Amino acid sequence: MRKTLLTAALLLSGVAAAADLKVYPYDGAKFLAGQQFDLRVEAENVTDFKDATVTLDGRAVDGLTRTTTKPTSVEWTLRGLSVPAGTHELKVNFTDASGPKTAVARWYAVPATAGKAKKVILFIGDGLGWNTVNAAQMVAHPFNPANGNPTGKLAMMSDLSSMASVTTSSFDSALADSANTASSIATGQKIMVNALNVYPDNTADTLDNPRVETITEVLRRTTRAGVGIVSSAFGVDATPAAFAAHTRRRGDYQAIADQFFQGSVKPDVLLVGGSRDFIPSTAPGSRRKDSTDWIADSQKLGYTFVSSATELNAANTGKLFGLFNIDNIPSYLDRAQYKGAETLKDFTDMPYLWDQTRKAVETLDKNPDGFFLMVEAGMIDKYEHPLDWQRAVWDVLELDRAVEWAKDYAKKNPDTLVLVTADHAHSLSVYGGYDAAQGPGKREAVGVYEAAGFPTYGDKRDANGLPLPETARTYAVGFAAVPDYCETYLGRRVFLDPTVSNGKTGAEAGYVPNPKICEEGSVQRTGNLPPSSNQGVHTADPLPLFAFGAGAENFFGMMDQTDIFFSIARAMGVDASKK
Amino acid sequence: MNRRSLIRALLAAPLAAYAGAFAQKSVPSLKFSELYGRVTVRGVEYSERIRSLKGQTVTMQGFMAPPLKPRLDFFVLTREPMSTCPFCTTAADWPADIVLVIMPDGRELEPSTRGLTVTGRLDIGVKRDDQTGFVSLVRLYADRVTTA
Repeated sequence: MRKTLLTAALLLSGVAAAADLKVYPYDGAKFLAGQQFDLRVEAENVTDFKDATVTLDGRAVDGLTRTTTKPTSVEWTLRGLSVPAGTHELKVNFTDASGPKTAVARWYAVPATAGKAKKVILFIGDGLGWNTVNAAQMVAHPFNPANGNPTGKLAMMSDLSSMASVTTSSFDSALADSANTASSIATGQKIMVNALNVYPDNTADTLDNPRVETITEVLRRTTRAGVGIVSSAFGVDATPAAFAAHTRRRGDYQAIADQFFQGSVKPDVLLVGGSRDFIPSTAPGSRRKDSTDWIADSQKLGYTFVSSATELNAANTGKLFGLFNIDNIPSYLDRAQYKGAETLKDFTDMPYLWDQTRKAVETLDKNPDGFFLMVEAGMIDKYEHPLDWQRAVWDVLELDRAVEWAKDYAKKNPDTLVLVTADHAHSLSVYGGYDAAQGPGKREAVGVYEAAGFPTYGDKRDANGLPLPETARTYAVGFAAVPDYCETYLGRRVFLDPTVSNGKTGAEAGYVPNPKICEEGSVQRTGNLPPSSNQGVHTADPLPLFAFGAGAENFFGMMDQTDIFFSIARAMGVDASKK
Repeated sequence: MNRRSLIRALLAAPLAAYAGAFAQKSVPSLKFSELYGRVTVRGVEYSERIRSLKGQTVTMQGFMAPPLKPRLDFFVLTREPMSTCPFCTTAADWPADIVLVIMPDGRELEPSTRGLTVTGRLDIGVKRDDQTGFVSLVRLYADRVTTA
């Protein structure tokens, strides 16, 4: 009897359950007046749908397309909507067998303002939290051992017009990845982890999600300004993709490659790393599933194609496409100092980030109507993940040279804004000195407080004038969020993963310290991350933002990452409502 | 577990019979550094050596990439031990020089973290596995897998 009652209660509650309503853009979204977005209303757990009205500021929304993705859902979509400046209310009145239900989303659109910056160079150091910048600063400009005074500053920290500290978060999590954070900078929205410039939806198709217009798309639609995208990571990685593509899944590599050339941004300059997603499936090494060859097809679209530093530096064109490796461009240390044949393979003439930046600006500068250029130092994060702090930090030093060049350009071209920021942080921290003469992995060689002393970076320098990581006294640098791994304190000339599989599968699958690293001499650290983690992770730590030149005053204080989008629009005087 | 019993664990029992036969022959060994000739942004080119060995039985030493299943009828052999499962994520940055090892029908092995020596028939060319979607450029149809 009791069981029967329970069943009856469950059945009744099943009938009585109201539908779940979702509205995108989400409640609390902020836009530029005129910035375009797709409206999507989704009703789930629907029983016998009766009717629904969708109103914007009290007036029925015309042109909605109604769909039924599954038997218990109804959706309405309208693409390319925008709203004028001010507050707005999207209201859904919905009725099915379980009765009426209402959902409301309130949006705010900021008015256009006059701006000073005609040209913007936005540097994004992937994984460049405050502590990572500081580690690079302390390597590039060690303190004076005679008195402990600083001996200089990174270019990105010098002669600032303004600066800010930036916080991050995702639409669906307090923590963030490179796709949704770059999307926040590109669109001013909170975006889901692993998504690029789209809101969620209830379909399996990752390419049909409701989209929101990026700063690069707004510029293309409303101005004649040029657009450039530069990265040292593989070509379709999240940060470069965020300025030209829309997808729920950052791993849609082939679709992202296509969107670079077929989407609404079509950058004038695209200088990136790995080529696997741009070459036809018949080419060994391709990741594509079709015969599209963007190296050949881009040239039919008027691009000059380059694949080495020599070709890049010689290029003189208005549309430039460059791929410089089949995968990521290896770390600065691998290219400039270690030069290992197994790492570089046949790629012995890759450009530095400063070469890519300079040629991108020179190319975009042919356009009298200004430009927006995003330059990503993509490999900082890629070496922070495997806890290789030396490779990560030296890539910050490479980025700093590119920033130095851009600052010099901005001085000569006062209508230029240069920004240096990050997408998210890692848990890197400098906590002592290390006596390298004692070899790797010695806890007693770590000096803390006064025993840290003054490391000796800069006693020897490479051909570019950057210090070597190998020196008598180094810093002790570590990560707070780690898997089980072997800490050696010193770097290595050939990269190794910090962990390897434990050889188990399913629920028992996990990772153990890489035995090759442990054999170097090491302290084995017990991890604090879930056993499923094979490397370090992003953190919620704040990020720097350094600003130089025209419109820099729009960036100051504590900023949320989404504010960067609106400040760029203000600095440039973007009017997204222009036809 | 000593070396002998590990080998036994790795090998499905009937396959052990093959081991003796192959151990007698001199089989050419292929190194990871010998797989490819030029690598450019337009793709990779196979080395002269690997093209000359295509279809022949060769032996390679490497490590098993993180496995997909508790018992394996295929796995990825890598130059260095690694933590990225090549089958598990589309965003994986696994190295270019990896070899897909396919076990004979009905023969499976257990995952291992040890260095492995694989003897088998070499095949090259772009091939997409229908089940996993995994694209391989170099394959070994294994006769024998032992700890290195």
